[in-house]
Amino acid sequence: MKALILAAGGGKDMAPFSITRPKPMLHVAGRPILHRTFQMLRGSGFSDVSLIRGPHGDTIREYFGSGESIGVNINYISQKKQDGIGKAVLLARQSFSPGEHFILIYSDVVTDENIISSVLQTFGYSGSPTAGIVLPPSASPSFGNVYLDKSMSITKIVEKPTKKNTGNYVLAGIYVLPYSFFAILEKAKGDMVKAFAKLIKSEGMKASIWEKGWVDIGYPWDILNANRIIMDTWNSSSVHKDISVKDAKIKGPVHIEEGVEIRSGAIIQGPSFIGKGSYIGNNVLIRKYSSLGPNSVIGFGVELKNCVFFGHSRVGRLSYVGDSVVGKDVDIGSGTMTINQNMDGSSIKVKANGSLVDSGMEKLGAFIGDGSVLGSGHNICAGSVIKPGVMIPNHYTYPKGSR
Amino acid sequence: MCGISGVVSAEDVSLKLKDSIRNLEYRGYDSCGIAIVNGAGTVVKKNIGYVNDVAEKEAFSDVSGLTGIAHTRWATHGRVTKPNAHPHSCCEGKIAVVHNGIINNHLKLKKELLQAGHSFISETDSEVVAHIIEDGIKRHGLDLEDAFVSALHKLDGTFAIAMVSGDTPGKIFCGRHESPLIIGVGENENYIGSDFNAFIEFTKNAVVLDDGEYAVVSNESYSVKKIKDGDYISKSITVIEWDKEMAQKGGFPHYMLKEIHEQSDTISNVLEIPEPEIKAIASAMLDADNIYLMGVGTTYYSALVGQYYLASTAGVMAYAVSSDEALEAVPIKKGDYVIAISQSGETYDTLRGLRYAKKNGAKTAAIVNVVGSSMSRLVDSVIMQGTGPEICVVSTKVATAQMATLIRVAIEAGVLSKKITLAKKKELLKHLKSLPKAVSDFLNEHSGFVHSLANRQADYDRWLYLGRGVYYPVALETALKVKEVAYHHAEGMPAGFLKHGTIALIDEKIRSMVFVPPVAEKEIYKLTISAIEEIKARGGTVAAFHSSDSLAKSGLLDDQLQLPKTNPFIAPILMLVAGQLYSYFVATTLGRNVDKPRALAKSVTVA
Repeated sequence: MKALILAAGGGKDMAPFSITRPKPMLHVAGRPILHRTFQMLRGSGFSDVSLIRGPHGDTIREYFGSGESIGVNINYISQKKQDGIGKAVLLARQSFSPGEHFILIYSDVVTDENIISSVLQTFGYSGSPTAGIVLPPSASPSFGNVYLDKSMSITKIVEKPTKKNTGNYVLAGIYVLPYSFFAILEKAKGDMVKAFAKLIKSEGMKASIWEKGWVDIGYPWDILNANRIIMDTWNSSSVHKDISVKDAKIKGPVHIEEGVEIRSGAIIQGPSFIGKGSYIGNNVLIRKYSSLGPNSVIGFGVELKNCVFFGHSRVGRLSYVGDSVVGKDVDIGSGTMTINQNMDGSSIKVKANGSLVDSGMEKLGAFIGDGSVLGSGHNICAGSVIKPGVMIPNHYTYPKGSR
Repeated sequence: MCGISGVVSAEDVSLKLKDSIRNLEYRGYDSCGIAIVNGAGTVVKKNIGYVNDVAEKEAFSDVSGLTGIAHTRWATHGRVTKPNAHPHSCCEGKIAVVHNGIINNHLKLKKELLQAGHSFISETDSEVVAHIIEDGIKRHGLDLEDAFVSALHKLDGTFAIAMVSGDTPGKIFCGRHESPLIIGVGENENYIGSDFNAFIEFTKNAVVLDDGEYAVVSNESYSVKKIKDGDYISKSITVIEWDKEMAQKGGFPHYMLKEIHEQSDTISNVLEIPEPEIKAIASAMLDADNIYLMGVGTTYYSALVGQYYLASTAGVMAYAVSSDEALEAVPIKKGDYVIAISQSGETYDTLRGLRYAKKNGAKTAAIVNVVGSSMSRLVDSVIMQGTGPEICVVSTKVATAQMATLIRVAIEAGVLSKKITLAKKKELLKHLKSLPKAVSDFLNEHSGFVHSLANRQADYDRWLYLGRGVYYPVALETALKVKEVAYHHAEGMPAGFLKHGTIALIDEKIRSMVFVPPVAEKEIYKLTISAIEEIKARGGTVAAFHSSDSLAKSGLLDDQLQLPKTNPFIAPILMLVAGQLYSYFVATTLGRNVDKPRALAKSVTVA
């Protein structure tokens, strides 16, 4: 069986990161989300993958190339016009053969374990088209409903329920579909909802319930949640053989890659990840759920907590970065504080796609886009979104002002 | 509480033996083992743990042979250790025995055997059986069958026992007294098991042994005799209508969730029970001096639900009795009518209560799920609830089907007692018939809300579960579910009871889950709301299951699940389904072993 990954999606609510990269290239637990998808596919016996890429799709090719290094053959297909999921699926028709089934993966759900193999198991015993389904952590009327009968066959999919107070399983964006689905989808003019309804009628569709951890990546803070559920599955450490950690204190599961330099006095609390080539300065405190991409530079006395760095970024001395996501090639000046809570303990609101959205989280720092430069001495307001590539001058208290 | 199985064939039995015992795991699963007879004698492999784990660790697949017995254990006498796992062997190791039940006089028997030079390896009551048989052969010169039967004569207690011997390959000897035992009849292959699940994959033809019977089973034949005098008994074959497919999970992550989802069907099955059967029970009730509904655990709560419906719909007083207390608390007499409720029909406490009722001359009936079970054969009349196998150790679909059965009985009793008219009966039946769809709609449109409520509340582990009227047993049963699968302390009680003592417990550490009746039940709705207010006034935290728009908006509740509006006649059962699903999601949120909670077994066949 072959796989089809939809990796063209950005999501306006995902700013600042969606401005420079597609959703699957967001990092969690030290790797792009897409890297985990490929690993799950490999673990389920897949090697042939077609991938639909859209805006900033070149970032995917730059990172994965032909896919050889992670054991898959990637067939890149470009979606020039962003005209919907259905149209994207139809672009891949030539890559599959009549009579065979394929697995279709949307790239916006992160799971803590291999959901692909779980969906395949359901397909294996039933032989029917299969959809992975999950229960939202908090039901709200805006969620769609998947209706099931007692043999776990899907009888109906309601995308936008109009009936008041309904909330049930929702689609997880992972399907096993027959080749004939392309024809159904074409007839439905690329409307996935209509096509699924047709498929349910003609061939039936089984549900595969996923009860383990999952996060729908919809807003920037979901990166932190996804990072956490993955790191929570870690129960052992790996430290590259050449790394000397004798002057540092390490506790809990940590992954430290080759070429990392850790100076004396550093404390690293797991679960945490330190990517290859990174530098951890003297007396740095890295607390739980910190993920540093490759070539991160963390200066003297910096404290990090529950944060994701995509890599190639620098944090100047005596700074604090907590409950925050930092893109690639970011420079954070010395003495920078990310403030991560409101004085009254209320949940933090974040500007997403032009409006303020309540994150529901009492602690949340900043979201700093790729390539930004922050001068020294800033206190950054909780829930700030800093666009990619901006430069914020140093901040002085004497003489007062920024320059 | 244990499961025993056996296979005798013309081919190697090792794989089937493992499958058979794995299918009985829900009866007990702290340790397991097999004994296989082949050219080398009797090979015993056993250890503590689940069947699949033990099979791997002890390399079950390395043994082959044409005759074998197996056991999965739930400890009653002796700790959970490898030596205490069954099968147990005699001193020479030729004879291997598996046992389900309790041998009361094992200490006395053991003493005699020790004096005769036998040595024991385990702390169990069961091991004596192997040694008595060996003793019978060696010291008294009996043949194997006679030695087996004379051992059974010596036992005082309850048992289903199976035995193989290295000297007599191709034969399984088995017998029962107050513990279940069934023979499966195949082609060139026969089976034994504690219940049908042991061999349902291989054959649908079964012969049910009764108390005081034993059998010699070979691959081509079986003979059933009386333990007392060895007289042959001719037994008829029962054809089992469950199939393997049905007994499997069907893609659901747990049997419990699957069985919760099956409830629209299983309640429909109850609606298919022929009316004369229901009427017969109802009319026997009205003829009786006293009526007792007897169950234990969940079935006691089913009985309580029945008590409320019989009172409100038929004006009939039927006392729900917890069967474990029946002998001491209830003076059952001639002229009384006892209806036992049991999933397996083998529940020790309820059987004991039934025997007591029969002894005292009462008329008896049973609502059971398992065809041919001890209870179904003990009583004067039986209603088969037709729910199909329930694999999850905690009961869901079997309980709601029992309640629906009792509701039907209540409607018929209402007509017979002239409390309700035929028109009213028609109306109530119409409501009852709308229950299956209400259940499936609820599951399909509200599972998300139940899941979020469970997510929010899963970390709190001290609870009061409160309800008034029939919502009191709903609270009790939901609290039991939460105890069983989530291991939370949840104390069910009538909401009216609160101010008579329990309210002293209310503080910020204990939470209350309140089951609120529909607004249409004016009296108990109002009383329930005032119970909530009492808790709130003392700084307590209240979550509620309810169906009231005004309550939803009142700000009185700290958390809630609003159910769709249904007719008050069926609303309690729908709320119970919500409670079952809630306990399931609390358990999965906490990562509990839902289908096999710690320390619980499916049917409790011991005292």
